[in-house]
This record gives sequence, structure tokens and C-alpha cells, in this order.
Amino acid sequence: MCTCNTATAAEDALMDVDYVPYRMRIDKVTAETPDVKTFKLVFENEEQGEAFTFKAGQFGLYSIFGYGEATFCVASSPTRKGYIECSIKCAGRVTQAFHQLNEGDIVGFRGPYGNCFPVEEMKGKNVVFVGGGIGLAPVRSVIWNVLDRREEFGDITICYGARTVADLVYKDELKQWDARDDVKTIFTVDPGGETPDWTGQVGFVPTVLGEADIPAENTVCVLCGPPIMIKFSLPVLTATHGLSKENVFTTLENRMKCGIGKCGRCNVGNLYVCKDGPVFRCSQLEELPPEF
Amino acid sequence: MTDPREKLVVGAGWQEKLVDALHGDNVRVLAPVLTEGTAEFREISAAAEMATEWINTRTPVKAVLFPRTEALVEFERRPGEDVQFTAADNEAVPTVVLGARPCDLNALDVLDTVFNWDYRDKLYAERRAATTFVGVACTRSDEACFCTGMGGRADDNEGSDLFVRPMPDGGAVLEVMNERGAALAKRLDGAAPAVGTEELVPPAQVGAGPFDTEKVKEWLDTHFDDDFWTDMSLKCLGCGACSYLCPTCHCFDIVDESDWRKGQRRRNWDCCSFAQFTKHASGHNPRPEQHSRCRNRIMHKFKYFIDRFGRKACVGCGRCIRVCGAGQDLVDILAEITTAAS
Repeated sequence: MCTCNTATAAEDALMDVDYVPYRMRIDKVTAETPDVKTFKLVFENEEQGEAFTFKAGQFGLYSIFGYGEATFCVASSPTRKGYIECSIKCAGRVTQAFHQLNEGDIVGFRGPYGNCFPVEEMKGKNVVFVGGGIGLAPVRSVIWNVLDRREEFGDITICYGARTVADLVYKDELKQWDARDDVKTIFTVDPGGETPDWTGQVGFVPTVLGEADIPAENTVCVLCGPPIMIKFSLPVLTATHGLSKENVFTTLENRMKCGIGKCGRCNVGNLYVCKDGPVFRCSQLEELPPEF
Repeated sequence: MTDPREKLVVGAGWQEKLVDALHGDNVRVLAPVLTEGTAEFREISAAAEMATEWINTRTPVKAVLFPRTEALVEFERRPGEDVQFTAADNEAVPTVVLGARPCDLNALDVLDTVFNWDYRDKLYAERRAATTFVGVACTRSDEACFCTGMGGRADDNEGSDLFVRPMPDGGAVLEVMNERGAALAKRLDGAAPAVGTEELVPPAQVGAGPFDTEKVKEWLDTHFDDDFWTDMSLKCLGCGACSYLCPTCHCFDIVDESDWRKGQRRRNWDCCSFAQFTKHASGHNPRPEQHSRCRNRIMHKFKYFIDRFGRKACVGCGRCIRVCGAGQDLVDILAEITTAAS
């Protein structure tokens, strides 16, 4: 797995954390679906913005003062500098408050924390992206990371599905990916979720993934979505398409408070999702107790 | 046990002298004080306020470094303006803790590890640097104590900056363990020398308990799924008292508390036995039943922490046994696991 955070922090002097977030201004709000919005955040302090770097797959604690902090991945690509984006599904107290915010409002961000997708390890390989619903958010960070350095990678396939057409996130970007000659796209909605003008496939993600033409050799996969989708997609990737579990990466999203291996909340066995993850190889997950 | 750098023999009245000297330096002095029938660490203005007969404080010494609740961020939202926020004032106060028990000071090793691995928790680290711990050998114990079973002992000087071995006449042998302890011992220059022999009050005899932590670890390594967890957790009310009073438990929550205009982001003690502890906003809960939460507590102390950091996260202080309203007994649990492993 990548060494983007633990190694650096251990080698250098320990980084002090006082839990005070960066001051971020909402630059843009995009309504993705009826219950998902994407927030583009810029640093109020330019120096902090210039010093800030992250890697695809890392996460942070986003907060609204008076409501609290919540954990989300950074959904934008590290190749796109000067801002970060997060896609938030309206679910609990903090996320509901986020959905009330407008451009120009101030929020907090702590991070980036956790490990990342091993993008460097993917160089020269075919990459298959499999996403379901809001699970496309962390995958999107890797997709743009890879597409912005397109020549360094082999065949690229994006397989994405949601319950209904309305629930597909990043609709404009789906069109952009679809329009490219150097990306193969498979978009699908669950049976019954299609509209009359839907031109993509109809069927669950594991089903359409099974019918896809995916090279078995030299291929890695980034997989993220609801647990049920991951459960049924994994055997399709390994048994049908011949990928090894070591080469299938996913992210876990356990509840967190600190993000830095102290608050004791996100552990799965002796691993902390916030420190040892959130990115795991599927072969690693098999060895963990089922507490995620 | 570690060999002290230096030993000092002082006669009765040394505590008075030390407390007065520290107050002269504007140092806050905390010591066990009898309150509501139990001892608690409180700020004292004179050594006479210190408890003389106590087994252990109800709340462990961890609360000095990692308080039950503390502000992290202050924020204010004025009408028509952007929210303003700043780090809360958490300046560490120079402090000397008198009368800390060996088990509690052993537990600081666990807290030091957690708050300093990879990232350094600034609030904890600054308090730690500003605090000197004077440990004192236990001369009494009760049936809940089991420090010896966890590798400790009633007169273990490990974790103390200055360690006190009491003498029957009120004098003591003081062991200087490090630089901080030496600085404190200097404040005792001129204390009355001890009278007569250096006979010590014998340390408390603490039983090791009918368990074997190595066997417990072996069993835990292979029994994540076992009916034992369902059975042992039936008693658990999920009240969290055991965690709150545990000297090694360090789980915390971060929450905002505010009115419409201003408020604080605060860190509060939390507990893995609470049903909401791991619950996602979606409703999904990785540890949905009490047995999965009780299992996590035992696993964390006797397996996960060892796997990760190389030591047990239990020091045998016995607080969880004393406080449990349902009569849950950690020693019984460890004994049952030992039997199952044999």
C-alpha cells in the first residue's frame, strides 16, 4: 500500500494536531442528485492553500460550526490544484446542515488524513473503475488523477451505476468521460430506475460488469459503492474477469472523530480505518473481522 | 521497577514543605482529597487537605492530562458576518500531582503511545510536559485490585518522576526517577531528615488473579466469533462507567456546543460500549449488538493494543470492577477465557 502518510509523519518530526480546521469558503455548490450536493471549497488563507497537498483516496473532516464535523473523502483530483471538492449525501445532522449552505459560506476542513490509492503502482496498467451511487466520489478523484496523466496508463474502463437516472452523480462528467475515445464507459441504472430517454444500460452493477470486456492481465480495479454492490462485484472481478484480490482496491468509511488514530472509533480489529486505510486491498479485507 | 537515579530520606512534614514550596513557585498542586466518601484528585492549598487513608482515587490520573471535557475551538457568528473561529485557550498549567498510584502511572504509557504515535496531540503533549507525577507505593489494596496480574506491583516506581515509599512515622524514602523528579527533590532541600531507621510501611499484597494474559491473548487471536461474547455481555448495561474510570481508555468524541451566536467545539470522553459509538448516519452500525461492543473492549485491551503497540491496555487498577452497577468483573472474564484456552 502507498506510504503517503504514515511513513512521512514517522520519518519527519511528528505533526502537531490541535483540531483547529482550515478556514474554507464555499466557491461553488452543485446539486448532483435530489440528496447529493458537491461543494467546491477554497482556502481563505492563500498560504495554507498553496502548501496544501493530498493524494487520491485521502479524506478529511468537514465541519460547520455549531453542527460539528463529518468525515468524507476528497472527491476532487490532486492534479487539480487550488481547491478541494466533496460530495455530500444528506443523511445526518452535519450533512443536512451542509445542504443548507450557499456559495460564499465558511466551513472548516481538517486533513488530509489516511492512506491513498496507489496511483503510482497503477502506472502502465489497465485500470477499471467500478462505482455505485455516491461511492463514485472517491473513485472520481482517482479517475481524474489518471485521466490528467492519461498517457501513463493502459486501457481505462469506468463502470458506474445508481438506483435511478436521477441518482447518478457527476452527470456532466459522465458525459465528458463517455465522449472520450481513450476511455471505455459503462453506465447503468437499476431495473425500474431508467427514464424514457436513458441510453445507458439497465441492470445492477455486478451484472453489467460481468458482461463487460475487461482484460485479465495487467489490470487493477478501484471499487467503491454500497456494501451489497461490493459483495457481488468482487467475485465478478475475480472469477469472471480473472483479477486477483490484491489488485482490487476499495475504501472503507467507518465513523470517525479524530481522523488520526486516537479517538478509537473506526477500528476494524487492530487496524484503524483512518490510519491503515481508508484504502484497502480486497485481499486485506478478507482477513479482517467483519466490523465495517 | 527501575533503579532510581538517587534516593532521599525525608522525615515527617516533607509534604507540607513541598506543597508550600510549589505554591511559592505558582505551581498547581493536585492530590487525592476525600470527597463524598471517595478520593478524587483536587487542587490543594495545603498538604493537610490530602487524604491519608485511601486506596485509589475514583477518577484516574488520566483526567489531569486528558480531561473529561475540554474546548478545542471557540467560534462566534455575528449577524451579517462570516463565522469566526480560533483555537480554544488550552495553555497548560504547570502542575505537580501528588499521591498518584503506580497502576495509574503505568497507564500513562498507554496514553503517551496513543496521543503521540504518528500525529502528536498538542493538547495532551503540552499538559504532559507541564506535569510532574509523584507516585506513591500502595500500602493498602482491596479485593478489586489486580495490578500484579498485569505485570505491575503495589510499589512499582515505573512512570513516576518522583516515587514515594512511605515510612510509618510520616517520613518517606523518595526515589528520583528522572530530571523532573530531581527538580522537585531540590525543592525539598532542608526538609527534616528522617529519625531512626529507614523502615518502610510494607507494600500492599495484591493477588495476581486466576488468569494468564498470554493464554488470554492466544484465545482472543482465534475466537472473534464465539458464544462466550454473547454470554459475557448479557450483564452489560452499556453505561460506559468502566471506560470513563479506566486509566487507559482514551476514546473521545468531538462535538459542537453552541447557541445561535457562539459556541465551542469540544472533546469529550466517549466509550466503545455505547450503541451509538460506531453508528453511521446511514443507520449502518459495524458493532450493532452489545456483545460486539463488549468484545471490542476486551479485544482492544488484551489483543489489538498488543498487536499494534506491544503492550496490554490494562493495568489492573480494578476501577471497572468497583464501579460496575451490574457486577461485571473483568478478572472473572479473564479467568473464564484462561480456562477456555487451557
